[in-house]
Amino acid sequence: MSNFSVGFRSVGPVQVLDLRGELDAHTASELEAAIQKALEEQNTRIVVCGENLQYISSAGLGVFMAYIEEVRERGGDIKIAGLQSKVYNVFDLLGFPMLFDIVETEEQAIEKFREDANGVPPTTA
Amino acid sequence: MPAKLIARSSEGARFLLLQTRGHFLFVLALWAMLYLIGLGYHLFVWSTGALTSPLLEVVYNAIVLFDYALLWLLIASLVERHRAAPTKAFWHTVLIGLLLLGAGLLIARVGRVTNIVDNPTIDLLGFEYETGVPLTPVTVLKMNLLSLMQVGFAFLLLARFRHLVLFKRTRRSQRNWYAMLALMIVTSLTTFTMTAAEEGIGEWRIPTVIVLVPAVLLMVVNAFRLSWIVFLSFRQKLALIGLTLVLLAMLAGGQVLGHGFFLMDATDYLYHYSYPLAVFTEQAFVFSILYGTTALLSLLFHLPTTGDFQQKVGEMAAIQSLTNLVSKVFDSEQLVSTIVASPVEAGSAQMAWLALTDLQSGSLRPRVVATHGVDPARLAALVDTCALYEDLGTRSGPLVLDEAPADHRVEARPGEGLGSLVGLPLVARDEMLGALFIAKEVTHGFEQDDLGALTAFAAQAALALDNARLFEEQLEKERLTRELDIARAVQRKLLPQRVPSIDGVTLAASSVSAQEVGGDYYDFVRLDEDRLALIVADVSGKGTSAAFYMAEMQGIFHSISHLARTPREFLTHANRALAASLERNVFISVIYGILDVRREELVLARAGHCPAAVIHLDGEARYLRTQGLGLGLDRSDLFARTLVEERLTLQPGDVFVLYTDGVVESRNARGEEYGYNRLLEALRRHRHEDAPDLHRALLADLHRFLGHDAYDDDMTLMVLKWHGIRLASAASAHPQQPEKPADEPAMVPEKP
Repeated sequence: MSNFSVGFRSVGPVQVLDLRGELDAHTASELEAAIQKALEEQNTRIVVCGENLQYISSAGLGVFMAYIEEVRERGGDIKIAGLQSKVYNVFDLLGFPMLFDIVETEEQAIEKFREDANGVPPTTA
Repeated sequence: MPAKLIARSSEGARFLLLQTRGHFLFVLALWAMLYLIGLGYHLFVWSTGALTSPLLEVVYNAIVLFDYALLWLLIASLVERHRAAPTKAFWHTVLIGLLLLGAGLLIARVGRVTNIVDNPTIDLLGFEYETGVPLTPVTVLKMNLLSLMQVGFAFLLLARFRHLVLFKRTRRSQRNWYAMLALMIVTSLTTFTMTAAEEGIGEWRIPTVIVLVPAVLLMVVNAFRLSWIVFLSFRQKLALIGLTLVLLAMLAGGQVLGHGFFLMDATDYLYHYSYPLAVFTEQAFVFSILYGTTALLSLLFHLPTTGDFQQKVGEMAAIQSLTNLVSKVFDSEQLVSTIVASPVEAGSAQMAWLALTDLQSGSLRPRVVATHGVDPARLAALVDTCALYEDLGTRSGPLVLDEAPADHRVEARPGEGLGSLVGLPLVARDEMLGALFIAKEVTHGFEQDDLGALTAFAAQAALALDNARLFEEQLEKERLTRELDIARAVQRKLLPQRVPSIDGVTLAASSVSAQEVGGDYYDFVRLDEDRLALIVADVSGKGTSAAFYMAEMQGIFHSISHLARTPREFLTHANRALAASLERNVFISVIYGILDVRREELVLARAGHCPAAVIHLDGEARYLRTQGLGLGLDRSDLFARTLVEERLTLQPGDVFVLYTDGVVESRNARGEEYGYNRLLEALRRHRHEDAPDLHRALLADLHRFLGHDAYDDDMTLMVLKWHGIRLASAASAHPQQPEKPADEPAMVPEKP
């Protein structure tokens, strides 16, 4: 029934979440669970990779808002990478680029984490 | 007539019965007449002093047998009409037997022939020894009367015993009974041509004996049909033992002392009267003695167990009646207390308690919801119900602890009132709803039949609990539906009931919710003569929580819009006001504008909302995508720092379209989104129309694209058209129906 899934990958210290399908009010809890799991495993550096994310609703965006504060307080961040243009537009309309690092590729996101670790503060901190 | 009566008897299995009073009287009259003919025949024989022809004798025998068949009909239907419990039936039978015995003794004394020495050709009874011809009219009368009494009593016994033998009848038992009767009749008929004088009495021929053997075997079989005895009370059994003894004394006494059931010589008279009839009667008495003997023994053996049986029957009846009660109770509270009270009040146990899984909390941990015979606090100290419950969940049948104190889950020590325990899972629709526990003071208190009854009760209780639960769920559902209807009505009131009328401007707006209530909001407020504030907002998510924030947004709009001079000021205040109440994962996207007709300008600010579309008269169209975060996303000053306003000078024919994402993100059956481009295209096509027509046309275009009327998301659309100040009141206020605006556009004719 659910046409949404989250895949877990680790790239060094960074936890990559591969989103696939449509993230809406019904599937939002799956992303919540995924982020929760990452945090429980002390992975606070999270890259959400949206190459295969077809659609996101406002409830889906809410998931990022729900966790970002806690993640940053624990010294990590959620960075968003590889969004398709239509999905990016939804993030952009709400002003998410002002709150999150949204980059084109996963590698850029991981690179950003490296820069953060080297003392360059996150853009919105 | 008898043929008709036979035809009336159902299936041949039931015996011939006289259905109406008329039939009864007719048969009675016929019987009496034939009886008198028989009497007359004997008197005739006496008066001639010699036997008649053999042919006439055969005719006589046939008439007598038919006559007594009628007597059987009469007696059987009388007995059938006065069915009685075994004790009463026995009592009546014995009483009639005693009366007949007394009458028989009197009759026997009359006209007794004593002088055998004087006339050796006369036997004791008064018949000529060689021929069997009666010697006096008194002999004839005695013969007729005593025969009638004996045969009548034999028929009465058979008719009475028939009910007992066929108690709790089966096909087999019924067959045995009728086979026995048939064989008895056949046995009798084999002696059809015999007479007392020729053959002597009781000296039967071989064919008779051949048929008699199976008849006797069936008598023995039928004599063991005694199940009615177990249902008698102790007193009834005692009474019956006495009555059976009397009956046996009457029947067997005669048999032992000589021929006849209770009278010396009476059977001899009967043999003289009709040989086959006498044979039948003797068989009937033999069966009666057999049956009386087995009944007596059975009564004696069952006497000690009567108490136990009565108690069991009482418990079963109590459980049964409570089972019925349980199925009538819908109130959960009352139901659970009835369920636990039932086994205790039925006398099956001293304690009972019911544990149910707590559906509200969602945990599978059971909770004791009702107890009987023990208070919950004490119960908790006695037994670990949770552990027992878990155990029950893993097995299919009941859990029986014969020595409860020895079990590790039972904390009660011996003597604390908990000797044995049964746990019964309550299963309905393959789901374990809970468990019923029943305890007795004594150890080994539950036998197999107890478990059977309790298991049946538990099944019924589970069904009742399930029904009650469904019933409550249904009520809850209906309540929720009503609540949501109210919420929907209230939310409708939060939206403007009319669009304001302002010179130079036409306005139209509508909103539909995907669910009963939604998170979309639009509104207008007149700030002063020249200025109008307008808002379209979308709370993230859908349904009830979104509806509450929508209501809060409405409050904020109506209070702050009057104070804020610019859209930026309004949104900044609103963001701050909402910060306290919004959930972390909830935000509100807003587009806010202030229209100033005197200065002919519109100032718009976008807080994370879908950009407003604007189109000029010449068809030049664009989206006003200014920078701005959604409300609730940021609680620092970032919101105010990043928010940008757009000030637009109005030219006649300018159209502004404000909407929520439900419009552009709606998808058709192929999964395609309506999208920004299609909206702009539709706007371009219809830009010359007034706001209300344009509004309808846009929705119609959207619906045509979607191909269905169902909404995945809340959908709001507001259209503002600037006609110029000189237009004056050309387009006055258009009352709008926010209830079902989506239906209207379909009826709007397409304009080229």
